[in-house]
Formats: sequence, structure tokens, C-alpha cells
Amino acid sequence: MWTIPKPNYRRGFCAEGEIAVNIGGVRVVLFGDVLNRYPESRLAELVNCSTQNHEVISSLCDDFDPSRKEFYFDRDPDAFKCIIDVYYFDEIHIKNGICPICFIKEMEFWKIDQSVLDECCKSYLSEKEDELTEISNKVKVILEDMEVDQCITRAQRCQRFLWRLMEKPGSSLAARVIAISSFLSILVSAVVMCMGTIPELQVMDSEGKLVEHPTFEGIETVCMLWFTAEYLLRLASSPNKLHFALSFMNVIDFMAIIPFYVVLSLTYLGTTSMMELGNVQQAVQALRIMRIARIFKLARHSSGLQTLTYALKRSLKELGLLLMYMSVGIFVFSALAYTMEQSHPETLFKSIPQSFWWAIITMTTVGYGDIYPKTTLGKCNAAVSFLCGVIAIALPIHPIINNFVVFYNKQKVLETAAKHEVELMELKSGREARRKSRD
Amino acid sequence: MEKSLAELNKAGSRSMSSLQPEPVDIMRSKTCFRRVRLNVGGLPHEVLWRTLDRLPRTRLGKLRDCNTHESLMEVCDDYNLEENEYFFDRHPGAFTSILNFYRTGKLHMMEEMCALSFSQELDYWGIDEIYLESCCQARYHQKKEQMNEELKREADNLKDRDGEEFDNTCCAEKRKKLWDLLEKPSSSVAAKILAIISILFIVLSTIALSLNTLPELQDTDEFGQSTDNPQLAHVEAVCIAWFTMEYLLRFLSSPNKWKFFKGPLNVIDLLAILPYYVTIFLTESNKSVLQFQNVRRVVQIFRIMRILRILKLARHSTGLQSLGFTLRRSYNELGLLILFLAMGIMIFSSLVFFAEKDEEDTKFKSIPASFWWATITMTTVGYGDIYPKTLLGKIVGGLCCIAGVLVIALPIPIIVNNFSEFYKEQKRQEKALKRREALDRAKRNGSIVSMNLKEAFARSAELMDVVVEKSERPHDNHLSPSRWKWTAKRATSETSSNRSFNAQELGSPSKARANSPQRLNVQKLEEMYNQMAKTQSQPNLNAKDRGTRVSKQRDEIELGAIQDHGPPVLGTREGVGDMKSLSSIDSYISCATDFQENTRFLQSPAMDLGLQEGNRLSHSPATAFSQRASARTGQQTTRECQPMLTPVSVTKPSYSDNARKFFFSGNSTKSLIPKGGCRSDGESGLSPLSDSSVLSDHSLLSPEVSIYTTASSRTPPKSPESTALAPTVFTFHDSSISKYIDADTDDDEHLRDISDASPSECLLAGNSPKRSININYQRGTNHLEAAQKMLGQNCLFPLEGIRGVAHENHVGHEMAHRPKVERGRQNTLDKSL
Repeated sequence: MWTIPKPNYRRGFCAEGEIAVNIGGVRVVLFGDVLNRYPESRLAELVNCSTQNHEVISSLCDDFDPSRKEFYFDRDPDAFKCIIDVYYFDEIHIKNGICPICFIKEMEFWKIDQSVLDECCKSYLSEKEDELTEISNKVKVILEDMEVDQCITRAQRCQRFLWRLMEKPGSSLAARVIAISSFLSILVSAVVMCMGTIPELQVMDSEGKLVEHPTFEGIETVCMLWFTAEYLLRLASSPNKLHFALSFMNVIDFMAIIPFYVVLSLTYLGTTSMMELGNVQQAVQALRIMRIARIFKLARHSSGLQTLTYALKRSLKELGLLLMYMSVGIFVFSALAYTMEQSHPETLFKSIPQSFWWAIITMTTVGYGDIYPKTTLGKCNAAVSFLCGVIAIALPIHPIINNFVVFYNKQKVLETAAKHEVELMELKSGREARRKSRD
Repeated sequence: MEKSLAELNKAGSRSMSSLQPEPVDIMRSKTCFRRVRLNVGGLPHEVLWRTLDRLPRTRLGKLRDCNTHESLMEVCDDYNLEENEYFFDRHPGAFTSILNFYRTGKLHMMEEMCALSFSQELDYWGIDEIYLESCCQARYHQKKEQMNEELKREADNLKDRDGEEFDNTCCAEKRKKLWDLLEKPSSSVAAKILAIISILFIVLSTIALSLNTLPELQDTDEFGQSTDNPQLAHVEAVCIAWFTMEYLLRFLSSPNKWKFFKGPLNVIDLLAILPYYVTIFLTESNKSVLQFQNVRRVVQIFRIMRILRILKLARHSTGLQSLGFTLRRSYNELGLLILFLAMGIMIFSSLVFFAEKDEEDTKFKSIPASFWWATITMTTVGYGDIYPKTLLGKIVGGLCCIAGVLVIALPIPIIVNNFSEFYKEQKRQEKALKRREALDRAKRNGSIVSMNLKEAFARSAELMDVVVEKSERPHDNHLSPSRWKWTAKRATSETSSNRSFNAQELGSPSKARANSPQRLNVQKLEEMYNQMAKTQSQPNLNAKDRGTRVSKQRDEIELGAIQDHGPPVLGTREGVGDMKSLSSIDSYISCATDFQENTRFLQSPAMDLGLQEGNRLSHSPATAFSQRASARTGQQTTRECQPMLTPVSVTKPSYSDNARKFFFSGNSTKSLIPKGGCRSDGESGLSPLSDSSVLSDHSLLSPEVSIYTTASSRTPPKSPESTALAPTVFTFHDSSISKYIDADTDDDEHLRDISDASPSECLLAGNSPKRSININYQRGTNHLEAAQKMLGQNCLFPLEGIRGVAHENHVGHEMAHRPKVERGRQNTLDKSL
């Protein structure tokens, strides 16, 4: 590939207004006026400075052969072949195979602005850069973990210790034990919440109403205390309180705890008859639903769930699309079904809003069978509606799945990359230290 | 001389016979150029010395510090001081990124580059892979891990195959046959039929099992309870008998009982059989006992376990196996799927419970009760036994449907991906297996050397270590066990080639003396030239001498041929044994493409007989020498007659046997092949005919000799004479495999260069047209026409002086490696005594 000379890769001695450059062994003769199209670039500077001024020349290039009037640059010839295009076409395309980060470094050396890079390659570059920033974020986290305690005060050191204990399950055995027990308590509280609703396990209270079994309530209280303690410790140990309180995971934690205390205070208020009893009970009922939030606490312990939330967050647009397709389908098919079923005397479709339910169940291919069409036309409509439903769901789901899969795989790769980066940094710092000690 | 040297340098190749540059010259060249030209696999690069100094411990960094010829040759493959160019015989694509590492301090990887080959390149250049930048690193590691995993699996497979040895106990042969019959349906027609019968039995038994539950077909027993239909019970018994027999036969014939017992497929087999026997046992033993009901319940459970026999089909279907494997491998994702579903069920069931609980006669009585509804809705089954009635409940239901679709769809593509990857892999492995079998067959025929992936990998891994540690302890490397193996092999092959060498020595004792041992020593270059001059004065005499001897011994051989027809088997065996070891070196060097040629060559009848004669008497050394001399000349004559005799390629059974043995034993040799691929390509161009003509041209430059010289240059410094050579010799092993090939290349270059290098020859070439043809031929070795012409001449003018000169020169050169030859011969002598 190197032996075939392009028109601009001429060999031989150069005439007036031309310069010969040797980039890492590849000799190129270039026209001065072409190079002057980008006067800030290194090559243009080289053309414009006089050949006598050796200091300037040596600052611009690595070597100069006066007999052949050849400037030598100790750079990558492959990348240069792409970069030289800017003088001819005003745009640069990264050659397939060259790492874009590496290419940008080369462009910086030749003093050519990044903006001349063509759009098609820019997206590629930004992709890589995003990846790099993600890696660097991870590296930062790892480095923070490894950082030796520089806190002077005792309180700070305590805070740091606590933070690690609560937030980094991998840092020590105690931290791991805490993480596991927290996970188990979530499970137990969720199970208890479900069991509490089984009528056989409930007990009558003084007013003849079914309430939860006292043992379940006891377990519930213990779990709640544990959650509260955990939340408070986390809050106390966090370096940035506001940031902590607003982060997604901690909001969920808070939501899981607060209903318990609200219910407690409301019943207290109800028993002390400061509020009407009926209102209190309604409020308590509503708050019981909020207990479900504790299941989301599991996300802290599962990277898969975090990936799911991330993927859903990233594909909000597609989710919106999915809902839109569905709602359009529901409207159309429920209206159609309603009108078609009107002819039947014992129709199950009493109104359009009522047939929405039928449309949802049909389009998602669930099909309970509580409402079903009876006329032929209605049946045909039902067949079309579930076909459309399958398509309407399948189409927008694909990008969501793609997001999920890509993110899931990337997560794995980034993990190793970050670890490697830390190793590399250690190696480099070690080398530097050695060099210093040698000097 | 000066001129030819300059020419050589211009041509960019460095001949062993040319003067090696003094350290002063190298230093001077390094100081007068600021830059250096690096030629990597044909692509020229130019770089500042300063840049290379940035990483002094790498290969290129060491290039700067090397001031002697030997150390330079250790680092690079070739160099030219005048052009200031250093040649490396490596992949040029990877080098660009490696050189950029020196320039910018950032190691990036070309996208199209295979990660594995890039890692090999990095090892060659002495750069740690840890320097790879993170943007390229992720890809690199992913690929490498994947590759390592694959190689490991392949190695395991190989181990499994190797493990199937039936040597320990009685009737191994029969057991092996049985094992093949039962376990490898593709091995024979009978095995295939057996597999089909087995499948039929499985299907039959499952059908019987299902029919048994039909009320119309059931009987009633004395307790009024329905039992099996007697006809179907018979079918069941027959099937179970077949399964049991199959299992037992498998167990008996298996080479490793414990491994067989542990295998998942065999566990399934056992589980399919056992319930039947347990049921029989329980019913028989408890017939009189009162708690018959309890036994009945247990029996019922065991009946259910009979269904497991459908899994027996997995043995006969790779698809089922890969499904099982996929599930095992993606348990992470499966766990994720279950977690998602469980969370969704939990959330939606509690939501719907709170929405519906105040409804009249609601079915959502508690959260656990509504779990069922949530599951059926999320998986979009929708039986309709429970459904929400309130508006809030219906909204929750609708959300539940959509969430269910999403949640199930998300992790499944990952599992699917795993499955398809594994499936592809499975198919590829099947193909690879077939390919390997074909290769094995080919190897038995002696035409190809296999590319053993596993060993190549292990080998290269070992070499990597060596390369890294080389600077620290260049002499210790041969201590690694595998290398000992090599040396051992080398020693044996040496001895075998020595035998043929002896013949030459006897034939021309004066030569042996003229070319005294340590001539390769750099300081004794002048001596070498003197010797060359000396040898030039002798040719005519020698040639004549040989000519007469040839004719004499030809008669001898003819006699021997008649006499030795009686006990040929032993003779051929031995001769072939020789061949085997010879070719082991040969393949070492040039990937055994010429191996076949040699063998073919050896198969030519006269040659065979010569060898027979030589080998038959090998127990008495004194006579063996003379006999070998005749064998040797016998070879010579055959070679000269070769064009007339068409090369016979009939492989004798004994020979093929031995050859296969060689391939088994020569594993370490095989591992060298991948790197030498290009080399073998070059060699394969030689037709057997042209090969033989080379031999006839340089009567002493038989393949054995040339091989031998390379081999000897690699022998460890065990003998005192060779200590002077030791360091350089060693680096040849150490630095990398390619060095071996280089060693060979150099020797090959001699073949060609010798004609250019020695001035006297050039003069003579000018005088005689035949010689010029000769030179031509040597340059384009596989020029068949020229070769034949020349051969014709050889036959016509056996005493021709010019030719004598030609090979004398060559001999002068080749004899450089004599010391070890002699040592080797001593070994042989000891052995034979």
C-alpha cells in the first residue's frame, strides 16, 4: 500500500515553492501554496520560515537534512496521509482502523483544528470520548476508594469509615455483612407485607375488624427500624448531604420509610382524637400502598435492576412511542368494537370507555375473556386488533431492548477497562517514581 | 571481494560468508545517523534513535545498545549498516501502532487487527499489553478472554479425547470398539443404527407412559384402584431393559468410570432407569405391609420421575445440549429475568389488591392470592379466572400487561445471544473436529504438518516468558522442560544425520582436515579465506576420486541389492527411523513441506536398498562406516539418476506407521509451524525433482547436511569445543521461534549466495556456460527445466572440474559446523558400541 505513489507523494528533489517532508520514513513533496491554506498549521509554518533559521526549524520538525532539503517528522505516516487531505479537500476523514483518540493527538501535533473533521467521523469520535469519560468516572470512583485517608480530624475519619461501611460492600467483611442483612430485611419486609393481607392470618381487633397479625407487625417494625437506622447512618456519613438526599436511590429509601412513621403519627393523632377517625383510617390505607416502594430498594443491590432503570431512562422516547401506539390502537379498536357490537342484543360492550379495557387486554394478547365480541364483524375486528397490538408493542420495544443490551454489555466492559486504567496509572506512577529516584 | 560485499549489502541481504561488521562499524553507523530505518516485513519506517531510547528495555530500545554482530542478530533479523536499515521479519500492520507508541507514548490498536496476533506482536517487541490505552483496551481484552476461553475449551476437548485410552485393563481393543459403537454414532453405520434404535425406544416409552394415563386403557386392581394396562407394562419393561443394557454397556466400556458416572447425560440416563426398579422394589417388598397407601404415594412420585427419560433425547441432539449449556452459562441473565418478573408481580399484585379489595365478592382476597393474577397477566397468558373489575384495577391491569411484555423481553436477547453464540461455536467445533480428522489422515500420509492450536498457544505463551526474561538470563532458558525435550530430539536426529555424514567424511578425509573446527569464530575470518583458497586447489583430485568411487560403489549396491532382498523389513524400518528423525529436523525448519519430498525420494528403490544395507549392519561400527559410505554414494547415484527414474511415491506401510509416530512425538516441532507458515509456502514451490537435483549438484549438500548444519548450530554448549559459539547459538533458541526459521533461511541463502560470494567461482562461471546455468538454477531453485538440463550434464560429465569447485566451496562453508558433527558422531559411536 505504501509503494503506490499518489499524485502528491512525488519523489525526487523539490522545486521552488515546494517542500519535501519525511514522515516516519514516507517521503512526500508538498506545494507551499497548498499548505498556506491553513496558515496556522505546522506545515505552513515550516514553509514560511526560512531554511536558514535552524532554531525555528528544529522547533517545528525533528530533523532536517540540508543536502536533500528534507524535513523529518517522527510521526505516524498513516495518520499523516489522512491529515494531509485537509489541504486539498478542507475536511478530514479518519482512516478506518486508526483509533480516533490517537488520531486527534496527531491532528494536534500538526496544529490542525478538530473542526475540520467530517461529521461522519465526529460521531465516531464522540462515541469513543463518551466511553472514555465514563471510564474516567469509574476510575475516579475506584481511586477515591483506594485513596489513603488524609482526613485530619477524628470525626472526618469516622465519617469516612462509616461511608465505606455503608456504601461499599466490597471494601470489607463487615460492609458485606451489612449489605446482605439489608438485602434480607428488604425481602422479609416484602414477604411480611404480602402475608399480612391473607385473611386466615389476620386477627380481629376490638372493633371486629381484621387487622394484621401482631407478630407480622413486630417484624415490620424491626425492619423499619433497621431501614431508618441505615438511612440515617448513610446520611450522616455522606460527604455531601444535599446531593445524598436528592439522589434517586435515597429518595426511594426515604419513600419506603416515611409511610410507616406517618401511619404511626396518624394513629397517635386518631387515638388522641385530634382528627376524625374515619379520615385517619383512609389516610392510613393510602399510605399502606406506599410500602410497596421498599421493593425498589432492591435496586441498590442488583446491577441488573440499575441497568434496567438506566435503559428505561435512556429510552423514554421509545416508551412514549409505545404508549402512543397503544393508546391510538386502543381508541380505534374500542370504538370499532363498540359500534360493531351494537347490533348484538346481549352485548358486553356497553360504552366506549368500557371497551377500552377489552382493547388493552386484546392488544397485549392477554385475553381474560370477561369481555369478548359476539358478532362476526366484532370478531374480525378483534383479530385485527391483536395483530396490530403485537406489532405496536414489538416495534418500539426493539430499541428499548437494544439500549438495555448495549448498556448491559458495556457495563461489563467498562468495569474491566476501569480496573485496567487504574493498573496502568499505578504502573506509570511507579515508573516515574523510579525515574525520580534514579535522578 | 569488496565489491561483492557491497553488492550484497545493496541487495539488503547479509550472507554468512561475508565479513561480519566489527563493533566499531556498528557504533559508527549508529552515531553518524540520527535516524534509523526499520524495515518490518517489507514496509520501511524511519524513526529517530532518540525516540527508540524512550523505552530502553523493549526490543527496539535494545537495538540501540547492540554493538556487536551477534547481539544485533539477536534483536533483529537482518541489517544493513550502509543503508542504516534494520530488518524485522514481522507483521507490518501491527508495527505501525507499536512505533506510534514510541512516538506518542500511547499504545493504540488498529481496529482490523486480531487481538491475539496483536498480543503476539506486543510480546515480540517486548511491550507489555498493560500500556494499551483504555479506548482500545476494552476491545482487546474482550477478544483475548474470549479466545483464551475457546482455546481452553478446545484443550479440554483434546484432553478428553486423549484421555480415552484403553490401555490399562483387559480386552482394551474390544472395549474401545464398544465405546465407539455406543458413544460415537458417526463412527460407523452400526453405531448410527444403534443410536436410531435408542431414539425409537425413548419415543416409544414416552408414548407408552402417556397412554397409560388414559382411563379407557387402565385396568383396576383388587383395591379398586386403576393400574397400568398389562400390554403397556410389557412395553415399559422392554424399554427399561434396553435402557439398562445400554447404560451398563456404556459403563463397562467407558475408559474412566468415575467421569462417566459424573457426566450429566449419564446422570439423566440413570434417573430414567432407577424409578422403575425402585417402584418394583417398593411394591414387591410392601405387598403385605399395611401402609400400602403411603407406598402408593411414593410410587406415584417415582412414576412422575419416569418423565425424565425424555431428556435422554439430549444425547442425540446437539440442539438440546446447547440449550442446556446456554441455560447454564446465562444463569446470570436468567436470574435477572426472574428478579424482574418477581418484582413486577410483587408490585402489581399489591397494587391490584389495594385497588380491588373493597369490591363485592372480589377474587383478590390477599396479595399472595393476586400473585397468580399478576403472573398470568405479565406473561400475557390471561386465563380469565381472576380479573380486575374496578376502574383503578383495570388501569393497573393495563400497566401490568405492558410492563410484563417489556420486562420479559429485556433480558431474553442476552440469553438468545448466548445461545446463538454457543450454537455457532458447537457447529464450528464439529467442523474443526472433522478438519482435524482429515488432517490426521493427511499426516498419516505424511503430506501436511498439523497446526495444533493448543500447543501452538502453549508454546507461544512459554516463548513470551522467555522473550521477556531473555535479557536477564539468556543461558538458562534451555532448562525449561519442553526445551529439554527439544534438545533430546535434536540429539537423536543429529546422530542419525551424523551417520550419513560419516560417509562423506570417509569419502573425503582431506576436506575434513582442511576445514578445521572453530572457523565460524569471528576472529578467524581470514583463516576461512585461506581455507577456501586451499580447498580450491584440490577439487579435481577429489572429484575424480569420487567419480571412480561412485561407479565402484554402484556395483556394490547392486550386489547388496540382490543379497539383501531377504530380510528387508528390518532394514526399511531402520532406514525409515532415520528418515523420521531427519524429517523431524526438517519440519522444524521448513515446516516439513520438503519432508514429503525427501521421503519420496527415499522411496526410490535403489536408495532404499542402500539404506537397508547401511542399517542392517549398523551394530558393528567399523563395517557400518564403510557400508554407510556405500549407502551414501548410493544415494548420490540415485539422485543423479533421479530424472530418469520418476520419483516413486509408493508409501510402504511400515514407513507410514513410523511417520505417524513422528507426528505424535514431534509435538513440540509442530508448534513451530504457525509462525513458519510463509516459509513453508516458499519451500513448497520446490518440486521433488528440483530438490533432488540440488542434491546432485552439491554432492555434499544433501538435505541432511544442510539440515544438519542448522541443527548443529542449535545444539546446546555441552561440548567444550563449541563454547566459543555458545552465546549466539543460544540466543537462537531463546529469542523466538522465528529464529529457527531464520537459521534455516540463512542456510538456504548459502545455497544461493555461495555462487555469488566466492570470487573464484564467479571467475569460473564466466569461463563455463554450464556453470552459469548452474548459478541460474540455484537462484531460481524451482526452475525445473534448468535443473533437468543441469542434471543431464551431471550425468554426462561427472568429473567436471567446475562443479567440483562449486561444491568444494560449499563444503568449505558447511564444514564450519563440524565440531558438533564430530561430537555427534562420537555419540553415535558410543551408542552403537
